[in-house]
Amino acid sequence: MISIRALRKSFRAQHGRVDALRSIDLEVAEGEFCVLLGPSGCGKTTTLRCVAGLERPDAGEIEIAGRLVNSPERRVYMPTERRELGMVFQSYAIWPHMSVFQNVAFPLTQGRTRYSKSDIAERVEKALKRVQLDSLGERPATDLSGGQQQRVAMARAMVTEPKILLMDEPLSNLDARLREQMRVELRKITKSIGVTTLYVTHDQAEALSLGDRVCVMNAGEILQIGPPHDVYQKPASLFVAQFVGEMNFVDGTARAKDLVDSPLGAIAAAVPDSVKPGAAVTLAIRPEHVQIAAASSGGVADTIGKVTSKNYLGDAALLEVEVNGVMLLAKIAGDTKLCVGQQAIVDLPAQRWQVFGQAR
Amino acid sequence: MKVESRTESTVAAWDGWRWFLPQRVSVFATGLSLFLLLLIGLPVLMVVLMSLRTGFPGETVPYTLENFSSVYSEPRTYEVLLNTLCFAVSSVCITLLITVPLVWILMRTDVPFKKTIYVLLTIGILIPVFLRTIAWILLLSPRIGLINKWLQQLFALSEPPFNLYSIAGMAFVQGISFVPGAFFMLAAAYRSMDPSLEEAAYTSGVGKLRTFLKINIPITLPAIAGVMVYLFMTAIAVFEVPAIIGLPARIHVLSSLIFTSTTPSTGLPDYGMAGAYGAIMLLLGLVLAYLYVRLVKQGKKYTVITGRGYRPREISLGRWRWPALAFVFCYLCIEVFVPFAVLMWASILPYLQLPSADAFANLTLKHYREIPQHVGPQPFINTLILMLAVPTLTMILSVLVSWVVIRTQVSFRGLLDTLAFIPHAVPGILMAVGLAYLGLAYRDIFPIYGTILIIIIAHTINWIAYGTRTTNSVMIQVHRELEEAGRVAGASSARVLWKIVLPLIAAGVLNSWVWIGMLSYREVTMALTLYTRGNVVISTVVWQFWGSGWVPQVAALGVILILFAAVVVGAVRLVLSRIGEIGAAS
Repeated sequence: MISIRALRKSFRAQHGRVDALRSIDLEVAEGEFCVLLGPSGCGKTTTLRCVAGLERPDAGEIEIAGRLVNSPERRVYMPTERRELGMVFQSYAIWPHMSVFQNVAFPLTQGRTRYSKSDIAERVEKALKRVQLDSLGERPATDLSGGQQQRVAMARAMVTEPKILLMDEPLSNLDARLREQMRVELRKITKSIGVTTLYVTHDQAEALSLGDRVCVMNAGEILQIGPPHDVYQKPASLFVAQFVGEMNFVDGTARAKDLVDSPLGAIAAAVPDSVKPGAAVTLAIRPEHVQIAAASSGGVADTIGKVTSKNYLGDAALLEVEVNGVMLLAKIAGDTKLCVGQQAIVDLPAQRWQVFGQAR
Repeated sequence: MKVESRTESTVAAWDGWRWFLPQRVSVFATGLSLFLLLLIGLPVLMVVLMSLRTGFPGETVPYTLENFSSVYSEPRTYEVLLNTLCFAVSSVCITLLITVPLVWILMRTDVPFKKTIYVLLTIGILIPVFLRTIAWILLLSPRIGLINKWLQQLFALSEPPFNLYSIAGMAFVQGISFVPGAFFMLAAAYRSMDPSLEEAAYTSGVGKLRTFLKINIPITLPAIAGVMVYLFMTAIAVFEVPAIIGLPARIHVLSSLIFTSTTPSTGLPDYGMAGAYGAIMLLLGLVLAYLYVRLVKQGKKYTVITGRGYRPREISLGRWRWPALAFVFCYLCIEVFVPFAVLMWASILPYLQLPSADAFANLTLKHYREIPQHVGPQPFINTLILMLAVPTLTMILSVLVSWVVIRTQVSFRGLLDTLAFIPHAVPGILMAVGLAYLGLAYRDIFPIYGTILIIIIAHTINWIAYGTRTTNSVMIQVHRELEEAGRVAGASSARVLWKIVLPLIAAGVLNSWVWIGMLSYREVTMALTLYTRGNVVISTVVWQFWGSGWVPQVAALGVILILFAAVVVGAVRLVLSRIGEIGAAS
């Protein structure tokens, strides 16, 4: 449904040129919920705005529903208002001089297609009902809470039943509890309509829970695209590994194709083909895969570590363990009787380790 | 030891009868409010008093309404009111016709040379209104105007084509003079409109024109309306243009009528009538001020400050950039280049004439050389005193008022803020007339009449409203927690103000200090109304020269005034930019 090819954009800032996008390629299938994830300045919002037509890229092509909407090389540019999309802005952009009803009805009353009055009323009611705001139609838009404004913005974006929906960090201005609730609702609503969605966020938990596919970006480039499971369990690069979820990193040296020397001993983990034996590598393991238990009994061969800090989170506990001079973070479900200063057995399953070459 | 004794004294301060004493801050705030009330209220009270008395100031006469009845029964009153309204409405129309496109061109398009244009716009403010008026008279007066003479020569006309001595002419010069101020007010309002409101319309499928009509205009309308009302308020009260152009042509507006009632060229001053007219003006001013405040409140509801930093996409003009530039250039000519050039030209000739071989043969700098002997040192000294004393007094008061209004929890701080804003609703000429009456009628209590002090007081009252607006906005930006950290550390309120707040707002305060100094320097309405031989300032000297028909001397003095202002403002800007923070241009 959305096709982005070789997109490039740079800005002129006070300190020189900023390359916001360095050749982005992305295909979003119909009905797919695709999340652009990355730190600030990575280019995700710029990509979204290029698709919307609010930014004009320097190079590259954008196709929406099979139509070419942007190509500087071929001198094609379709203005935003002709692209038949819906967009939710980070600030919601609710028009203060209109009521809720008028805000949501605006694309229908002022847009390109003419609708009959009854048709408009029906569609607006349906849209408001979908976001559970059907009783607030006559309220002036300035009289709403943040969460309500966000839902009005969503209703407005979907009232024309567009083919694609663009969302620019729509949940970042809400408090934590509301954010979690809205996350669930958002996915339900977009899936029930079946609209193709491109969603921008810097929150990796949001990305993992919402997306059919997650696209991790940094410094104007796409580092990895894939289902949330793949991005989390098999990160393609060191940056993705550390950006998505927590990760432990240990420096090591590759000895053979499946052996790495490290301060924690020799670890039997698969080394990527591009890394030559003897090269420096980084080993990575997720905190939830670090098994830790009290050092009551146990064989001599067990790895022993000392607990240096403990954070109780309610449903889990985060422990910092020092093993052979290396600090590891371990995540345990529930609570543990281990306390700070205690000795603990640390089990690091070989198949859970990932190896990355040092050249990022 | 030390800690214990401090604890002891704090406990002791709050027990027993001392509990009922008002806090130090409240006492201070009350004192400040009373002082302001006196300062601002007395002249206004005088105007009301004046209108209810006949005879000379100081005479004990019974209160009477006969001034009002004679004012209302005279047909001239209604003619003057009509003139005032026509003049005010036309001026505002001209201003908006130029300012709105100007703001749009400079803020939403990719017109080139933006920085230079902004600088030139600021220079426009440096040319005092009376000098610009004089310059345009030298160009468009039917008798001596250079443009008229040139066109008559060129096309062999029998009648001069342009006559500046009309309400249209007055509105033209006044309208032009309002543009720089109106521009910065509109630009500020424009900048606080959230660009995503427009973008949301585009993504809803709404085209550019429709978005402009349905989104941009309704949202910026309160701001534009606010500027309109503000300008209208000022246009009703201004004096310089109606006096210089209107009086010789016997076209009176309220302000010039009040002036001629108190300082007639022949006959005795009639403070009673002046008061009656003044009361009308006062009422109008207060009503408009109320309207303005309501509009500003409404406008505030519509402004959303985005944290993002995305500017709305600049509209590329393409071929249209040349007409746009031409428009801006034309405006700058009318506002800045042409008046200055005319004044320069007139100052180096023995008498005003068109450029010709003859004229070039007669070029001379003698008018500049003769200034010291014609003018003497006193006006310069007085003006210098004004430029130093007025901003200092005004800014001290403004900082104190703002601090109470923004930073304390004193219950009547809203009233104090309104009190500081009231002078804005009172026309300058009325304040001056009220002060003059106060000085004359109660000269035993307030022996200020005839001294430079009375002008200093008049100017201070006039610009407290402006001063407090700027100190308010600067102080709001100093986060409350910075002060609270100071209190937690043990510093008293006064110390916190001195050591924490003041250094942080210094740049903004300094900017306004310079600005008010500049306004004081080129102010002529109040200086003229309160003029006596003892408190001559440069602007009154120029006025007198003009009244005597000494055109080249006026021009020479005018050129010096403008250049001096440019140098001072330029130097201060340079210094301030080194300090780091540059406040807004107006």
